[in-house]
Amino acid sequence: MKKDPRYKSGLISSLNPFGYNVERWSYALHRVTGVVLIGYLMAHIFETFELSMGSTAWTNTMNALHSLGPLELVGLWIVAGSALYHGANGIRLILNEMFGKLMGSPILPVYPYSPTSLGRNQRMVVWTITGVVLVLWVWAGLYLLAGLGVV
Amino acid sequence: MDKVTLEVVRSGGRRIRYDLRYRKGMTVLDALIEIREKLDSSLGYRHSCRMGICGSCGMTIEGVPRLACQTQISILKTDVIRVEPLHSMGVMRDLVVDIAPFMAMHKSVKPYIMRRNTDERDHSDREYRVLSEEVRRFLQFDYCIMCGLCYSACPTVALDPAYIGPQAIAQSYRYMADPRDEGWDQRIDLLDTSHGVWRCHVAGACSFVCPKDVDPAKAIQMARKEILKKRLLRRKARVGAQPVPLLSSGVVKQGVKPPPFDFGKGSVSRK
Amino acid sequence: MVEAIDHDVIIVGSGLAGLRAAAQVLSLSSGSGPSLAVISKLALMRSHSVGAEGGTAAVLYPEEGDSLELHAWDTIKGSDFLADQDSVWKFVSLCPEEMRQLERWGMPWSRREDGRIAQRPFGGHSYDRATFAQDKVGFFEMRTLYDKLQEYDNWSRYDETFVTSIVVEDGTFKGCTAIELKTGRFVFFRAKAAVIATGGAGQLWKFTATSTSVTGDGIGLAYRAGLPIEDMEFMQFHPTGLIPRGILITEGARGEGGYLVNSKGERFMERYAPSKMELAPRDVVSRSIMKEIGEGRGFKDEDSGLSFVHLDLRHLGREKIDAKLPFIKELSMKFTGVDPVEEPIPIKPTAHYTMGGIRVDGNGRVLDERSQAVRGLWAAGEAACVSIHGANRLGANSTAECLVYGRIVGEDIVRYLASDNAHPLGNDSSLVASEEDRVFRGLFRNETSSEDVYVLKAKLKEIMDKSVYVFRDEEGLTDAVREVKELKEKYRGVRVTDGSKVFNYNLLDTLEVGVMLELAEVVAQGALNRRESRGGHARLDYPQRDDTNWLKHTLARRTEDGPSFSFAPVCITMWKPVERKY
Repeated sequence: MKKDPRYKSGLISSLNPFGYNVERWSYALHRVTGVVLIGYLMAHIFETFELSMGSTAWTNTMNALHSLGPLELVGLWIVAGSALYHGANGIRLILNEMFGKLMGSPILPVYPYSPTSLGRNQRMVVWTITGVVLVLWVWAGLYLLAGLGVV
Repeated sequence: MDKVTLEVVRSGGRRIRYDLRYRKGMTVLDALIEIREKLDSSLGYRHSCRMGICGSCGMTIEGVPRLACQTQISILKTDVIRVEPLHSMGVMRDLVVDIAPFMAMHKSVKPYIMRRNTDERDHSDREYRVLSEEVRRFLQFDYCIMCGLCYSACPTVALDPAYIGPQAIAQSYRYMADPRDEGWDQRIDLLDTSHGVWRCHVAGACSFVCPKDVDPAKAIQMARKEILKKRLLRRKARVGAQPVPLLSSGVVKQGVKPPPFDFGKGSVSRK
Repeated sequence: MVEAIDHDVIIVGSGLAGLRAAAQVLSLSSGSGPSLAVISKLALMRSHSVGAEGGTAAVLYPEEGDSLELHAWDTIKGSDFLADQDSVWKFVSLCPEEMRQLERWGMPWSRREDGRIAQRPFGGHSYDRATFAQDKVGFFEMRTLYDKLQEYDNWSRYDETFVTSIVVEDGTFKGCTAIELKTGRFVFFRAKAAVIATGGAGQLWKFTATSTSVTGDGIGLAYRAGLPIEDMEFMQFHPTGLIPRGILITEGARGEGGYLVNSKGERFMERYAPSKMELAPRDVVSRSIMKEIGEGRGFKDEDSGLSFVHLDLRHLGREKIDAKLPFIKELSMKFTGVDPVEEPIPIKPTAHYTMGGIRVDGNGRVLDERSQAVRGLWAAGEAACVSIHGANRLGANSTAECLVYGRIVGEDIVRYLASDNAHPLGNDSSLVASEEDRVFRGLFRNETSSEDVYVLKAKLKEIMDKSVYVFRDEEGLTDAVREVKELKEKYRGVRVTDGSKVFNYNLLDTLEVGVMLELAEVVAQGALNRRESRGGHARLDYPQRDDTNWLKHTLARRTEDGPSFSFAPVCITMWKPVERKY
């Protein structure tokens, strides 16, 4: 892979949202949760595949999984949060990209500038999604802990 | 505060600190000019208009691309200001980056009025009729000063050098929305490619850093709608704006009259 | 070893005039037309033409009361009768076509109700003929022309290439030498035809509306090649420059109804131009402002020490300002913190436009000292002096001049190349080698430098601001001439301290200051010689206009000891000079 000669280009730069707007943070999170979900999908396919290889293989897989202890629940919790966020944000992105909603319409710019695509409608949806996802995530966490018998 | 320090990332990644005395209303460009004139004449950066309309002085200040001429030091709220070249562009010297790929992307989307009748466009003497509301549909995107800040802020550009970038897409949409343009089909084909408009993931950083409120994120989504209109809904291009009819002759309002000519009285001919 | 690059046409300078000439050459020729190069010391689209704000004058609606005669009369009276009237007539006849041509190329002019192009009132014009695009007309015109050039593939762009000299031998243009900033290479462009469209020399002053790149390079190119430059003492000081940097606040603000107010709260223009008030020509308004400040009715800014008066736009209302004057609202808020809707804007006259420039004829061809056209060399825009603006330029006429003369020059070049007169590309001449020596070996000497070029530049700007400003007098001008000569002597000891080949801005600054010092001497000496007040040149010791002795153009040619002056008559074909009252 030839090194890209441009200054500070590449994956780290594109995922670094410090100093930018909240939509860029949500882009970074969307990408990261997307990778987590793909990883989970592949793991899940592998795990379910083992089921078809007979009961010994299945039991071994389940034991290996449970031997992780609390990490298994933490992992599931992260996947739950990723799915919630990626799904909800994905709906917002579909609205933005396919239907052009929440972007506003062309205006005559007036100083001090405030782009309509980062305006009130967009921000309301972003923070609503964040709030709803957080609430559901906490609930998912409690649900997982209940499975342990703790809560 | 009475002292300010600029930490500039120069060629080869060296970080050099320059200490300056702070004056009220000082911008980052003022500081850079003072550095070159008094402290270190080898500091390379671009600047021209110092009023935020030429787009030369784009650089990354405190992690975000900004125009140096309109970034007041007082709003940065720090004594040590980190200044680096624009991200995602090749560094030629210190803070001077290579904008040729950026300009080439702009040219590649054919940003000019296309008409079927090029004779009428280039060699006649008529004007096209355009109403104010129609101008308002594309005027915002015509504010672009080609500073490259949006291109530098875009996370997709950081990953993919072949992505045409928010500025090019916004300019392509500006011409799609212009009632005088008749190149709608061609522009859609130019945008609907694997490195075209579909690479945008609406991070909105382009609109966030744009110094003129061009709002390229909005233009990109509106361009997507146009593409979907053609591909899915099978809409056809509209006919471009037509020349205004000549005003009927004989309608003459009496205006102010200049004083009478005095021909031939002491005329001095030059050549 | 100097590399030679061959083209048929080169355009030095990429502002409005340069790009318009390029667009004309390209649109007149088909695919295999002349090979065109556009050379600029900045990247394209960074030129100062993008800073033009107010409007472009043209007679678009003769059916509604405007007329070409009226536009010509306004221009000639505005120029204090120093304009060459045949060229003015040619100019006003071609303006309307240019507006419509830009319109067809995508220019977002502001519109009237019926979809036609709108116009607004402007200083010095007797009819509302300033065509406008919000208040960024120069910027949109540049965008339109730059976008139009993207349509063609048969031209080359040399961004960030600084032309250091032109080679004119035997009355023929041979080529020009340049430094490519990206690599530090010294190249020689050979061409059959060239246009100098590099703009004016506003940076000679400290309080100026122009970009830092407007250092009079093109005018210096012609001056150094021994060609005469005309009327350099006439510098326009635009009345409304923002404190403390001099950034331009457009005349359109007064056109839309803004008031100029002194510290007593009165609209003082009533005393100086009772019928036109704030819309008198710019030199009248600038002098009025300076008189008010001089008589103690101005304000003073504590931090910068500059005196100013107020431009009051509050009565226009937020909606009108946001719709018609958004850019100046942005500038005022960004650089002074003043919101024009709430408070008046602090302004003072700022160095803005160079009426003088390279002497050209009605077709834009550069003339030598015997008034013969130099073969293959044209000049257009602010760098040229046709002269349409005479001693004072009316607002909205410069963008129009750039467009009209860009087009005239483009057409003339295509005609010249097609005729048998076009000469073959020249061989390298000894002038190229001596230029390379001057630039590289001369400025990169190894002895420790005794002079700092930035200190010289700051001193020059201070002198010009003090003595060669709106009001001038014998004592101030003599001091200015003497001090500029001293600075020129000191410049010989200047050395480039940055040794890099790539993007050596220190070298660029040093070369620019050399040109600025030579032009400053021409301006100061020309102003000292001219013992009258006319247009932008106002002398306290000779306050009247003197048509008997001074109705003539000043020509300056370079000699070893400084400029040598001669005069040329003014072409008067339509109106004889009368008293200029507004």
